[in-house]
Amino acid sequence: MRGSVAGLALWAVAVLLILGPLASFLVYGFFSVEANDIVYELTLANFADIAANSSYLTTFFRTLRLAFEVAATNLVLGYAVAYFIWLRSRLWQSILIVGLAIPLLMSYIIKIYAMRGILGTNGLLNRALIMLGVTDEPLTVLLFNLTAVRTTLVVVLLPFMVLPIFVALERISDTILSAAKDLGARESHIFFRVVLPLSLPGALVGAMFTFVLATGDFLAPELVGGIQGFTYGRLVFSQFGLAYNWPLGAAMSIILMIVALVVISVALRVGNPRYLK
Amino acid sequence: MKPGRLRDILLGSTTVAVFVLLYLPILLVFVLSFFSMRRGRINWQSFSVDWYVRLFENEALGAALYKSLVVGLLAVAGATVFATLVALYVNSARASRLSKSIEYVIYLPFLLPPIITGLSLLIMFRELDVPRGLFTITVGHAVFVLAIVYRIILTRLKALSGTLVEAAHDLGASRLQTFRYIILPNLRTPLLTAGLLAFALSFDETMITLFLTGAEATLPVRLYAMMRVGFTPEINALVTLVLGFSIVLTIVVALTWRNTTGLEGHSSRSSGQ
Amino acid sequence: MPSQDTVRTDSDALSGTGQARAPLLQIRSLEVRFGSETALQPIDLDVLDGEFLTIVGPSGSGKTTLLRVIAGFQVPSAGRIEFEGHDILNTPINARPFNTVFQDYALFPHMTVRGNVSFGLKVRGVKRNQIEEDVDRVLEIVGLLQLGNRYPAQLSGGQQQRTALARAMICQPRLILLDEPLAALDATMRQQMQSFLKSVQRKSGITFLFVTHDQSEAITMSDRICVLNTGAIMQIGEPRQLYYRPANRFVASFFGDSNLIEPCRVTEHAGRFARISTPVGQFEVQCDIPDRTQGLVLTVRPEAFVAAGDDHSNIIDFEVVAVNFVGSETVTRLRHASLPDIITMKSKSASGARPPAVGSQIRVGFDKDQCSLVPAAEHGS
Repeated sequence: MRGSVAGLALWAVAVLLILGPLASFLVYGFFSVEANDIVYELTLANFADIAANSSYLTTFFRTLRLAFEVAATNLVLGYAVAYFIWLRSRLWQSILIVGLAIPLLMSYIIKIYAMRGILGTNGLLNRALIMLGVTDEPLTVLLFNLTAVRTTLVVVLLPFMVLPIFVALERISDTILSAAKDLGARESHIFFRVVLPLSLPGALVGAMFTFVLATGDFLAPELVGGIQGFTYGRLVFSQFGLAYNWPLGAAMSIILMIVALVVISVALRVGNPRYLK
Repeated sequence: MKPGRLRDILLGSTTVAVFVLLYLPILLVFVLSFFSMRRGRINWQSFSVDWYVRLFENEALGAALYKSLVVGLLAVAGATVFATLVALYVNSARASRLSKSIEYVIYLPFLLPPIITGLSLLIMFRELDVPRGLFTITVGHAVFVLAIVYRIILTRLKALSGTLVEAAHDLGASRLQTFRYIILPNLRTPLLTAGLLAFALSFDETMITLFLTGAEATLPVRLYAMMRVGFTPEINALVTLVLGFSIVLTIVVALTWRNTTGLEGHSSRSSGQ
Repeated sequence: MPSQDTVRTDSDALSGTGQARAPLLQIRSLEVRFGSETALQPIDLDVLDGEFLTIVGPSGSGKTTLLRVIAGFQVPSAGRIEFEGHDILNTPINARPFNTVFQDYALFPHMTVRGNVSFGLKVRGVKRNQIEEDVDRVLEIVGLLQLGNRYPAQLSGGQQQRTALARAMICQPRLILLDEPLAALDATMRQQMQSFLKSVQRKSGITFLFVTHDQSEAITMSDRICVLNTGAIMQIGEPRQLYYRPANRFVASFFGDSNLIEPCRVTEHAGRFARISTPVGQFEVQCDIPDRTQGLVLTVRPEAFVAAGDDHSNIIDFEVVAVNFVGSETVTRLRHASLPDIITMKSKSASGARPPAVGSQIRVGFDKDQCSLVPAAEHGS
């Protein structure tokens, strides 16, 4: 009896602060706007608009591709780094892992700002390229386009990728590796037959969450993307700013949420194969 | 060359490259907080702490920092209390399966892109006629950090042997006494860890905040606004200070964490009497 | 119901040894079901004041469930538990005058030995001077006075065990429930703790209800033993009684190594004497004779077999399968064409003796009063 009262109280808070907002956002996607006023009548108009608007669709698929590229890049880089760290001694492991965590402590906005300082016309990268003689004129293609967004997202999301892979690698017991060696497996066998199958699920989960974060991000695209680096996240955010069409923004977010939920459920499945239970 | 060496060289150079990528932005900010830049070139003769002095005169940044601290503390306090209650509830035998699914609800704001959490709260607050301001930001942050706090506390609760609670009841303790003397002392470390982590998340949260902010700006939102109109270099000084403070705090926490495993009991014993 | 006649044997035994103790706990028709699964069939059991009663059985036999019901951690599906005549099923855990020693000890990791031991008094609001005095007294009994300020993580397994016992004793409970407390200890430590627990129980006079799956532990420590299997009581009695006069096939095979010869049939019967027919021959036996003539098992302890001339009335010819010299004893494994299982014989080793060759035939005998005859089925009918 006391248990159910406590449960109800907790559920009430959860509904008010999480489920309620999500529900109202879902419903908003089916409202419309007329003369800057929201019309509280259910309609599929927003979704029809999105489907008919080629620039919306292009932006959507461009963003999915961008997020995929960021996730894939981070998966490869993150795995290499995590594997390298895993092979080091205890002391070096701690030092390198702390080294990866420190950039997480720095403000997200500031990191993006610093990336602008690196990629800009007068940025560090251009200076280095000129010094090395690669180019005479500063390159302008480094900033304010999709490549800049991609690079920035890779840099800011990379630590999130390395840590879960390292944790997955750490879970592989030494005796398993010794057993593989004892049975005569070569280094490459041990890696491809033992280490990779046992760590890849964790790595893929990390990659999928990176993907979800990258699809919804609107800060990095806005601050380093310029006009060329327009992404779906910016499109959604603009509906709540100047464009002022909340129902359309909500409808666009519903599509984003479906993508996120699909990716997350795939991640949860991939991340828990039966042999890791 | 042995294949193992080639592998180490490849992996090692990738790791070095990644660390350069990660630290270049930080280094740049750090250097620019002491030196000035002219036409993209750092003037190494220009060392000064002027930006730090200016920082303390910049009232807008000071106000934003203060609001970030207030929002962070309140959000963490609220989230920690709620997450602890949910963890205790989910971990108890009395809750039904359906009722325990509340934990999946708590994970949602963390799993979904922040943009969705932000705009759903925005829409609900509008429908409830709650004006945007520090209150709405605080709620948004609390909702966002709930999952991580809950996860840390639940992990510790589950690791606590179930027989500890039974043993306390068996020795005559009431439910309240069991919580006070057995559960709470064992949650001290995870509560501290979760609180600090949640605070760090809140302190840096920007995307949800941009939806919920009214006239009041937290530090990241102020930085975002400044970045669009042009930065002043005292921001480099501010970021360097915040980063330094975070690093020191992290090290302190890491050290206390190591010590508390053995010494936690001393404090709880003295406070328990 | 199996408990009917076992309870009778039990009271016989008690009157025989001249002990007369009042029941502390009376358990009646206690039943526990988890969904469709029955963990405890309706059982009756008396726990006598001041005794060391062991509940023994294989894993899954319901022994821990029974203990948890008595402690109050588990609510039974039906039945009553009376403590000195009062039903206690509705008494909350923290108000029952029982304390538990848990299998994993459940020591509070953030409290010292003293903190753990004083806990029961602290939550009852006992004054601090009194607490210190009582803690000293109990720590003295368990021999941990010097280690009072250590944390559980700094103690050996045996010391943790003593702390758990001290913590359970301090509130002077009428009954201490011990759930396989020695399972985590190594063999040497386990033996030390067995005699230690026994002596603490004697000195304190507190009733101990001890749960174990280890039959030799049960025999060593207990005043009485209650044997559980698949949620039902197989037999209750003193260790000797269970060993030499098992009530059924399960008890006979559970305690010690025993040789089971079945199926057997009674051909002649007079008091405690009977002639029986078995797959390996006709024998004479002198023991408790079950009130049936078919579906019986003859059990003979390995040490009851002797290499025989023809002077025994009960003789079996075996083929020797293996001979193991284990120091003071020699264990001989024997096979008979009509028996599915290998028969074991244990004899005292002697320096001059020449063991039989493997593969040779050997004639073995046993005395008519060195065996028992029990029903094959575990339940009365």
